Amino acid sequence: MATRQQTPAPAAGARPDVRDAVVVGGNRIPFSRAGKKYADASNQEMFTAALEGLVARFGLQGERLGEVVGGAVLKHSRDFNLVRESVLGSSLSPTTPAFDLQQACATGLEATINVANKIRLGQIDSGVAGGTDTVSDAPIAVSEGLRRALLEAQHAKTWQARAKALATIRPGDLKPMAPATDEPRTGLSMGEHQAITTARWEISREAQDEIALASHQHLAAAWESGFFDDLVTPFRGLTRDDNLRADTSIEKLASLKPVFGRSLETPATMTAGNSTPLTDGASTVLLGSREWAESHDLPVLARFVDAETAAVDFVHGHEGLLMAPAHAVPRLLARNGLSFDDFDFFEIHEAFASTVLTTLAAWEDADYGKNELGLAGAFGTVDRSKVNVNGSSLAAGHPFAATGGRIVATAAKLVAQRAAETGEPARALISVCAAGGLGATAIVESV
Amino acid sequence: MTAEPLRTGDGTALHVETQPSLPGLGGLYARGAAASGRIAAGRALPGLPGIGSGRSDHDPGAATDLALPEVAYRVPGVTTTGLARHLHEYQRLLHEPVGDTLPAGYLHVLAFPLATAVMVRGDFPLPLLGMVHLANAVELRGPVRVGDVLEVRAWAENLRPHRRGVQVDLVSEVWAESGADGGQPSWRGVSTYLAKGFELPDAPTGDESPRADWHPPLPTGRWALGPGTGRAYGAVSGDRNPIHLSALSAKAFGFPRAIAHGMYTAARALADVGHVRGDAYRWTVEFAKPVLLPGTVDVAITPETDGFAYVGWNGRRRLQHFCGTVTPL
Repeated sequence: MATRQQTPAPAAGARPDVRDAVVVGGNRIPFSRAGKKYADASNQEMFTAALEGLVARFGLQGERLGEVVGGAVLKHSRDFNLVRESVLGSSLSPTTPAFDLQQACATGLEATINVANKIRLGQIDSGVAGGTDTVSDAPIAVSEGLRRALLEAQHAKTWQARAKALATIRPGDLKPMAPATDEPRTGLSMGEHQAITTARWEISREAQDEIALASHQHLAAAWESGFFDDLVTPFRGLTRDDNLRADTSIEKLASLKPVFGRSLETPATMTAGNSTPLTDGASTVLLGSREWAESHDLPVLARFVDAETAAVDFVHGHEGLLMAPAHAVPRLLARNGLSFDDFDFFEIHEAFASTVLTTLAAWEDADYGKNELGLAGAFGTVDRSKVNVNGSSLAAGHPFAATGGRIVATAAKLVAQRAAETGEPARALISVCAAGGLGATAIVESV
Repeated sequence: MTAEPLRTGDGTALHVETQPSLPGLGGLYARGAAASGRIAAGRALPGLPGIGSGRSDHDPGAATDLALPEVAYRVPGVTTTGLARHLHEYQRLLHEPVGDTLPAGYLHVLAFPLATAVMVRGDFPLPLLGMVHLANAVELRGPVRVGDVLEVRAWAENLRPHRRGVQVDLVSEVWAESGADGGQPSWRGVSTYLAKGFELPDAPTGDESPRADWHPPLPTGRWALGPGTGRAYGAVSGDRNPIHLSALSAKAFGFPRAIAHGMYTAARALADVGHVRGDAYRWTVEFAKPVLLPGTVDVAITPETDGFAYVGWNGRRRLQHFCGTVTPL
């Protein structure tokens, strides 16, 4: 495999000057379709529940952790210290620091990268990374006109000036503004953006429906086999992800009407079945140094090896909105001296079925490799049987900031299980696309 | 109040009349006068020959006598010091970055009322209301900033036949009074208007050449334009033509609903191109089907060898609304 010129690095991300950060475990609440079981649950309630479940699972009551890092994509301004407030509402020691972080759908993975880096540098010995999102309990804002008038009135020094400011309010200004998932710079929704990328890469409806079907089947099998027994804590009476359709079929998926890309020249292929639904949920991952895990008598699932983020120029369509991971992974693998053959699992976030397919197609395309990735040719081909083996966001749902934590915990447990079965090291690649043309990717490895 | 002669594109010498201030919103804002939404056109409407009348009042035989007034208006000493707030309102509405540099579309808003004043003169041969804005071409040769003192000039030129009537160019210029522009205006805009139902000698025959089947490109953006889009741009630009303000007032002029200002759509496209356009650029637009409000416009911004091309269309009906270019100079 061709690689970019990089500073020569020792194999598999070993850095003599930093120590390992390991994944101890994870805990999330079941994900729920928007407006259902968690309709009145706030971000803080959900994140606190996920965190408290993690504390209970690993006996961390009263423990002062190094840091808790997480965030929410749709966040109310009153939740400025969402994660710290969740810590104070948990049974962790109130002396545990925390901060909020946000990188759209990559929030959870970026939080993990952050905690892992602090551990690797010796700044902290332990930490929790995660995220939470609710579409059901999303903040509603007032219009720009009303907001500006109210602010101006508040800043006014005389009652006349205040009255003048308030007099600028028009009836139309009183309409509340629900948060939109449109890209601010283009006005296109994420689905419309991906429909354009899908058309460019000529991804078929059938291929997308197959990805969706596999996601449901794999996630259902993972639930059946008990894979999530030590990764999920029930919440509000929900014990499993309620978007999961174990009995769905290729015929059922094929019967759905396209919802995105309907005004394009090419046939529309993206449906509610092969796109993620709006979802509520929260997830957490516990990380630490090996020494910390050992001294607390805790298991170690995997080493969090390295991570790479990327961003693409999507505004005028040079690159697809959700294609940043296609750029991040070649850089990540080059730095670590790895190729696709070195991986046992690929966790590619299914924002849409076609996101997985366009990413895989880009890596297999020689022109793309040359022109976009700066390589000698195609980057490589992923063995499709290694992709999202326990299901992903199409089946589980996608509470934006909570997806990263779900994937990291799943990947860590997968490599731990595989290594235990085979006695050989196992490795997983994680890829998460995000709004704003962003992407975050990471490597986890069995210990 | 006459300055040195000024010539049109074809060399016609114009009599320069110096005006004390810019008509319309721009001048009112600049001079801090009481807010008034009336544009120069509105003020001058009553008693003008032919205004709002279209073809019925016009004797086709007399059409060959159409001639433009050989006059240019000039307003020196236009101060921009008080414009920051108005500029920022414009920038927020058009999705321009908020700052103290005047985008080319804002200079159009500032200068165009003077061109409108030319169009509402008693000797201007065409009716202002009912004229169709066909195209616009602007050159911004360098940054104009809040605080600059400007001279604005405007005249009409190049009356020529069009297959549906006659077209005319309204030229406006913005000069920096510091004289740092090397004998060139900082900004120059040419707005091409069509007056339907008028005739000139040598007019081309009325057959419309069949339009090639147009296929929309992949969009790079989508604008969801609310019903108040025309009112909002009307408030900022001073162009309160009734066809933009409400469905009811637009119906009176034969439109099913209010339509977006052409310059609003062109300025949104200019803003979409973003900072890569630089401080000096040429910006053109040609208008096709009007954008009905509320409405959704699909937009594609495409890099070209020397700049950007843009096109806006209705995604459902595959109808083009406008197209143009932004070319860094």
